Amino acid sequence: MAQIAAKKCRDSFAVVFDFYAPRVKSYMLRLGANEIEAEDLAQDVMVTVWRKAGMYDRKQASVSTWIFRVARNRRIDKFRQTTRPDLDADEPMLRPPDIEQPEAAFHRVQIEETVRAELVKLPPEQLELLHAAFYEGLSHSEIATKFNLPLGTVKSRIRLAFGRLRGRLDPADGPPDDIERDMT
Amino acid sequence: MMQDSATSSFSELYSAYAAGRLDPAFALLLETQSMLRPDVRGALAVSEAISGSLLESAEPVQMSAGAGARALDLIDALEAEETPATRAPMHDDELADLPAPLRDPVLDALGAKGWQGTAPGIRRMKLDVGSDLEVELYRIQPGARVPRHTHGGKEFTLVVSGGFSDETGSFGPGDLAVKGPEDTHQPVGDAGEVCFALAVRDAGLRFTGVMGLIQRVLGK
Repeated sequence: MAQIAAKKCRDSFAVVFDFYAPRVKSYMLRLGANEIEAEDLAQDVMVTVWRKAGMYDRKQASVSTWIFRVARNRRIDKFRQTTRPDLDADEPMLRPPDIEQPEAAFHRVQIEETVRAELVKLPPEQLELLHAAFYEGLSHSEIATKFNLPLGTVKSRIRLAFGRLRGRLDPADGPPDDIERDMT
Repeated sequence: MMQDSATSSFSELYSAYAAGRLDPAFALLLETQSMLRPDVRGALAVSEAISGSLLESAEPVQMSAGAGARALDLIDALEAEETPATRAPMHDDELADLPAPLRDPVLDALGAKGWQGTAPGIRRMKLDVGSDLEVELYRIQPGARVPRHTHGGKEFTLVVSGGFSDETGSFGPGDLAVKGPEDTHQPVGDAGEVCFALAVRDAGLRFTGVMGLIQRVLGK
């Protein structure tokens, strides 16, 4: 990526293109694009990757994460299909800031490594739900319908998997306890 | 203690964001909050890393012959036409300090309709982020009172800087206040610095049986 940004290296771009274009195409197909649309979108994404390569910072994200973001934004432009959250009481977003958590506790490079290492270890029934949520962008209730599972099962499996990917081998999985404790 | 608060908790908000399905108003709220809160920033980083890893392991689908060469041709064509100068952004010293995700839509709005006065010391500005929801930036001077109001639907208010207090408590940077139709309140800007807050409103937002819990979480 550095070669593309600094030297406009076409060979490096070809390598990136050959690996990612077919995957981005696969992603677009999965999201409902037809063959031609998927091909065009993948092209578009790769052209954007070339043009924005200077903005890529490997300390911030892996190449895959960065390219996914580019693809995601193209997807948003293309499909304009958005969802509104069903906010859960245990959202970090709704909690008071956790001032005890030091900034140093999270480095993006480390996060990427942990996610990768733990992803391959996930049991299939957790991985497939994670895939539906984070890759296909389905809501929990859509996932419940698709996999014919109770909503609570979907939520608890995803929560469990997410805890592991955050590097917690033993995620505190009982929000009611946590919430009660945090109330005080 | 809340040592595990952010890690034990998770829901579809983050996956919807990472996968690009979150409503743009909420995406802005979340991105802005992530600039103010390490725990939220961490949750987003993990979410995006998951999506990125899953892209890597996606089953590749062959591109048509010569696709790579055509991409380079396209790049050449694009680079040949000189990119026009980007619009000169509005400048405003105070707003320049807003977190990055918020700055662009705010400066756009400033160049469009700009601020509207609401009450002494209270100004607000509608932001266009491509959402059906109503998105507004509030500027509340210390001690200024937002007129007492109720809400047609749900209102999510993120404190960006400074702070405000109402009958239910005080909210500082990174805090999110959630109010429903049943709430009537009169926020007052905290002493010290000017408070900027981002509000997202929707009449039809649904909650799943946790409204009571949410209220208790927030009602510090």
